[in-house]
Amino acid sequence: MTAPLPYAELQVTSNYSFLRGASDPRDMVVAAKALGLAALAITDRNTLSGVVRAHGAARQLGLRLVVGARLDLTDGASLLCYPTDVAAYSRLTRLLTLGKRRAPKGECHLARADVAAHAEGQILIALPPETPDADFAAQLREWAALCPRRVFLAAHWLFRGDERRRLAMLADLARDTGAPLVVTNDVHYHIPERRILQDVVTCIREGCTLAEAGWRLAANAERHLKPAEEMARLFRDHPDAVARSVEIARRCRFSLDELRYDYPTEDADPQTRLERLTWEGAARRYPAGVPDKVRDALVEELALIARKNYAPYFLTVHDIVRFADSRGILSQGRGSAANSAVCFCLYITHVDPDKFQLLFARFISDARDEPPDIDVDFEHERREEVIQYIYDHYGRDHAGLAATVIHYRARSAIRDVGKVLGLSEDTVAALARTTWGWSSDPINPDHVRQAGLCPDDPTLALAMSLAGELTGFPRHLSQHVGGFVISRGRLDDLVSIENAAMTGRTVIEWDKDDIEELGMMKVDVLALGMLSCLRRAFTLLRQHHGLDLTLATVPPEDPAVYAMIARADTIGVFQVESRAQMTMLPRLRPEEFYDLVIEVAIVRPGPIQGDMVHPYLRRREGKEKPSYPSEDLKGVLERTLGVPLFQEQAMQVAIVGAGFTPAEADELRRSMASFRNSGKVAMFRDKLISGMLANNHTRDFAERVFRQIEGFGEYGFPESHAAAFANLVYVSAWIKCHYPAVFACALLNSQPMGFYAPAQIVRDAQEHGVAILPADVNASAWDCTLEGPALRLGLRQIRGLSEEAGRTVEKRRGDGYCSPQSLWRRTELDAKALEALAKADAFGSLGLARRDALWAVKALTAPPLPLLAGLDAAEPAVTLPRATAGEEIIHDYASLKLSLKAHPLALLRSPLTGMGIAPAERLREATGKISVAGLVLMRQRPGTSSGVVFLTLEDETGVANIVVWPQIFETFRRPLMTATCLRVDGRVQREGIVVHVIATHLTDLTPALHSLGSGEMHLKSRNFH
Amino acid sequence: MSVADALAVRPGLALAADDEAADRALLDRLADWCSRYTPWAAADPWPHGFGLWLDVSGCAHLFGGEEALLRHLGGRLRRGGLSARAAVADTPGAAWAWAPGGSGSPCLPPRGQRDALAPLPMAALRLEPATVATLHGLGLRCVGDLYGVPRAGLAARFGRGVAQRLDQALGHETEPISPRRPPPDHGVHAAFAEPIARPEDIAEAVRRLLERLSGQLEADGLGLRRLEVTAFRVDATWRAIAIGTSRPVRAPAHLLRLLAEDLPALDPGFGIEAMRLAALEVAPLPPEQTGLGAGTARSDDFARLLDSLGNRLGFDRIMRLAPQQSHVPERAVVPLPPAAPMPALAWPQRRRPVRLFSRPEPVEAMAPVPDSPPVMFRWRNRTHRVVRADAAERIADEWWRRTAPERDYYVVEDDSGRRFWLFREGLYGADPPPRWYLHGVFP
Repeated sequence: MTAPLPYAELQVTSNYSFLRGASDPRDMVVAAKALGLAALAITDRNTLSGVVRAHGAARQLGLRLVVGARLDLTDGASLLCYPTDVAAYSRLTRLLTLGKRRAPKGECHLARADVAAHAEGQILIALPPETPDADFAAQLREWAALCPRRVFLAAHWLFRGDERRRLAMLADLARDTGAPLVVTNDVHYHIPERRILQDVVTCIREGCTLAEAGWRLAANAERHLKPAEEMARLFRDHPDAVARSVEIARRCRFSLDELRYDYPTEDADPQTRLERLTWEGAARRYPAGVPDKVRDALVEELALIARKNYAPYFLTVHDIVRFADSRGILSQGRGSAANSAVCFCLYITHVDPDKFQLLFARFISDARDEPPDIDVDFEHERREEVIQYIYDHYGRDHAGLAATVIHYRARSAIRDVGKVLGLSEDTVAALARTTWGWSSDPINPDHVRQAGLCPDDPTLALAMSLAGELTGFPRHLSQHVGGFVISRGRLDDLVSIENAAMTGRTVIEWDKDDIEELGMMKVDVLALGMLSCLRRAFTLLRQHHGLDLTLATVPPEDPAVYAMIARADTIGVFQVESRAQMTMLPRLRPEEFYDLVIEVAIVRPGPIQGDMVHPYLRRREGKEKPSYPSEDLKGVLERTLGVPLFQEQAMQVAIVGAGFTPAEADELRRSMASFRNSGKVAMFRDKLISGMLANNHTRDFAERVFRQIEGFGEYGFPESHAAAFANLVYVSAWIKCHYPAVFACALLNSQPMGFYAPAQIVRDAQEHGVAILPADVNASAWDCTLEGPALRLGLRQIRGLSEEAGRTVEKRRGDGYCSPQSLWRRTELDAKALEALAKADAFGSLGLARRDALWAVKALTAPPLPLLAGLDAAEPAVTLPRATAGEEIIHDYASLKLSLKAHPLALLRSPLTGMGIAPAERLREATGKISVAGLVLMRQRPGTSSGVVFLTLEDETGVANIVVWPQIFETFRRPLMTATCLRVDGRVQREGIVVHVIATHLTDLTPALHSLGSGEMHLKSRNFH
Repeated sequence: MSVADALAVRPGLALAADDEAADRALLDRLADWCSRYTPWAAADPWPHGFGLWLDVSGCAHLFGGEEALLRHLGGRLRRGGLSARAAVADTPGAAWAWAPGGSGSPCLPPRGQRDALAPLPMAALRLEPATVATLHGLGLRCVGDLYGVPRAGLAARFGRGVAQRLDQALGHETEPISPRRPPPDHGVHAAFAEPIARPEDIAEAVRRLLERLSGQLEADGLGLRRLEVTAFRVDATWRAIAIGTSRPVRAPAHLLRLLAEDLPALDPGFGIEAMRLAALEVAPLPPEQTGLGAGTARSDDFARLLDSLGNRLGFDRIMRLAPQQSHVPERAVVPLPPAAPMPALAWPQRRRPVRLFSRPEPVEAMAPVPDSPPVMFRWRNRTHRVVRADAAERIADEWWRRTAPERDYYVVEDDSGRRFWLFREGLYGADPPPRWYLHGVFP
């Protein structure tokens, strides 16, 4: 390439102008660099959300990036706006914030007057309309008068045929108005081939098919980046207008590197305050004196924090956590923060560094110049209080949630592309089903054939290839689950802020990668259901058992707790309650805290995809000796018996084993997490495998490590994060082990959460000797409560009863209701609530059976008939048919989703035995062929299981875990997917104490269940597919 | 059940959107068709089901009895691709309840409904699903369970609804069936005192009948699209002619003009004793003010011209051109039927030739690379020297239809002042080499 020719492209619409541009900002930068352009501006519509990506790429390649935005105005021609310095940039972000905050989400309403008020220091390029009229000329004169020498007029050559006349006319206009011509190419994609995708996104935006789109599409493929020679040739009559592009780029000196970000602080000397708080906290954490190990860690960490000047960040997180604590909201830091002793002493995390080896370097290090990232979980029901506190305390112009860019996934891409190509809804739906919703892998032609479609059909083939290209494109901005950016200066000086879909939330338009790129710090305020449950449990322990416990003070390393976990007796316990975890527990047999850390991390897609689980288990069970791929790696892998299980270990293997730099390893992980960087992934794959081969590792090991990193990308657990979660596993297991009633009560009151429905939680409690009392208008509160050692179901279990109604029943009870009439008069409940109570059999304490109660309450609220008014005293007695035991249970399930009277299968047992069906408890010793039957609790078809379906059946004696292979699944799809009660014939397979039934035949037994109640039994299983 | 769940059970499931209006319309048509069995046929207005009511009192014997009527009806419906279940009973309510079938005769004996209905499920009474659910909750599952429950108690809890349905089914309360009204028919008929045969008499008769028909149509706000004239001759044979119009018309003079050419085909033979005009096809035509303003007259003239041409050449041979949204010149124009409304779309702004060749004609041209207009070209054996030209207008083909090289179009003027629309397909230096075409001429 010869010396750069003088042309800078100043009008570029990237795909961050959602559904307008057809290229990623990074692709634009790479293409501009390759063409040798003097500079490139990214000017997305009313947004700066793509500029950070461009900035990163431009810095890497050494291309001059001009930051700017295209301002679409409500009362005038659009403008390109480029800040020349930091102050002007802040004016631009404030301007965009102004336009977005007053518009609905995703829109920006700006008028000329708004721009005029923020125009200082901006260079403006006016975009002429199709026919520049007097009004446009007047606007141009106005801008030129307002910003002398800073206003230009754009000239395009888009091969419309009339360019020469148009340019002459624009040149006249420029002369008349004092806004000189400058050449831009109105770029929408980096290469001409992207015109196709540009047409597709246009159609998606307009909600039309390609055939209908007509003139809404561009006539040709000229809106790509062009080299300077070509621009000079096209505008050979206006060379000064070409040169002006470079002049403008030169004048816009602003770079995102100049943004100064400060963490908010209220002290003159944050470091001193942090140190004081840390040592005070340490003294409280360790009343018997701070152990030396912790003291050393604290000193070291505090020194590093001082060097990096991170004290304000820690103080901010501390402040948020302290606020939550003052409101009684339980919180715990997760992620890499759990590696910090300072975080422990600030009560941000609760994993005792004295008992657990910390790796603070993973959290912050001198080498990496990247801000720490503290994620804190709060009770899911009360996180909003914390969020609103942050807004209130720091102000909406200083705090905002980070954005999340919603990208096209394979499924959403094929849906939109299919519509644009005019495929029928059936076809689109069938195609969409061939891929998992979250997958970013392209659609597999075999799957298409399986869906009954022909992948060679030209339209389908086109749809699939276009969907492949569209996958990974940003679709719109959404809010991050809880990542807050808080700044000392005004946040809208750094980035524009917009409204979120949820009222009361404001979001900045950069996502977490952008924030990180610019070195801004963020606090993740996340929600965790288990914390709500634990807070309730702590409260109950205090009230009923006089125990005052916190996350940190639950007695540690209790052998009884580990014994329970090793039995897989873990229904309701955090993380380890899933079926996959339960099958693992008896093999892993956790004995100490670190075992729980491994347990949490091992049942994840990363280790499973990397095929690391079984080697670890074999070594753990002593069936295989730990071996290390090399001496270097021994240090990395010793803790996990030579098998990499944690995210950090996989990265370390890449570094130590394959010669990656830490930065490369990190980039590798990131490129896995983001979608569609397939070229990059392949490059890393080659590098990793060849690097490991060069260091004498086997290809097999190298490929497994790669697959594992691949799996980690999206779902990986770092060790510290697993440790934070393991703490919750231990705490919840401890409560379940020693106070099963408290645990069940707290769990029921925190529903919906976890894997199990109330029926299983209640049943599990009963099996642990907890007496369960029915919900009753004279005894139950809204929540479940403890009556001595027994658990009283709350009114919240009743289907169709609102919380408001339930709490009214609780509040107005006084010394008890003596009849449905008295309840109705005192509570003034409506018909729906009264019927819900009656159907739940909650009038038992009044001596009313379910049907009698329903008959009684129906009369209370029905509109009185004129002729019958006043007759209720003389109402004749009615004898309703008595309910059978079967009907009672069916109605219990209908209203409460559980029955305390009996299990439905118990009533069917004798016919079932006649059919040769064994109770589930028999599975413990059975071998060979067996038939079981039960209610379908759960259907799971995990993406990692290649079509295998896992079923959980329940009868009165326990649960049966069923495995259905794909072929059987296809044969028995219908009973499998629809039955409420299912019979399974199959073979017993056992692994340790875990027993599966491998299904060979499935039968729908739902009619038998219906015969119990001579009516329908509605029981919804939890389906995951 | 959601679509996703249904597809999980049966992956190949064909999906169709629920279109209640279409279902109701079909039912109305079926009710009309059922008037062959009884004049009292109606579609069931109940919102939770689709059914037909037939009051066959006094009609069944025409088909050989009630069961035979049901067999006949069921067979006809099945042949029409419809499955149906039917029952006959004393009351509509009992017939509805009995219709889902089961064992026994589909015809309940007179006054047999009380016993027959007792074991049927509660839903057979046409009750709201929520009411049925509540009755189930009370243990009242069968219709018969209600027989012993005091009316006052039921009314206090369910209002009139439950008791009324029960009474309707058992015949304690009447439930009339309201038949649908037939659509209005437009036609006029005249019988002549003396047979007519002279052409001018026939024309006069047609004119008078047209005036009467026009009056009928105007009253209903309709215009004719197709008209049939039938002449009944004294020898008990008949002749008929028919005309069509491009848009709804009811002006007698206009229609008479259209008919005039065909009237001789109404061969009177020994004389015509009666004549009928029937509107075979009508369309809404709001009443309009006539006789004021020139615009109306002109558009009338245009319509008459179209009708005359259409009745002579065939309506499918007349068309008008309308713009269509496409950048590709060949596809930017679409022919429409003459009476079709013009799309609300302006012609494109770009300069386009008045005469666009349906097939571009190859020319030889000389032009500087890469994208300048030609300096001269040879078309139909004549060389044209270009003196003036616009820059290239680049038009890419619609890639989802076909892949073709881009075209650069040029408006050029030759030394004799004629203007042409040329294009170069492909780029210089590309393979295959570019080719030049002439696609149209400007006036």
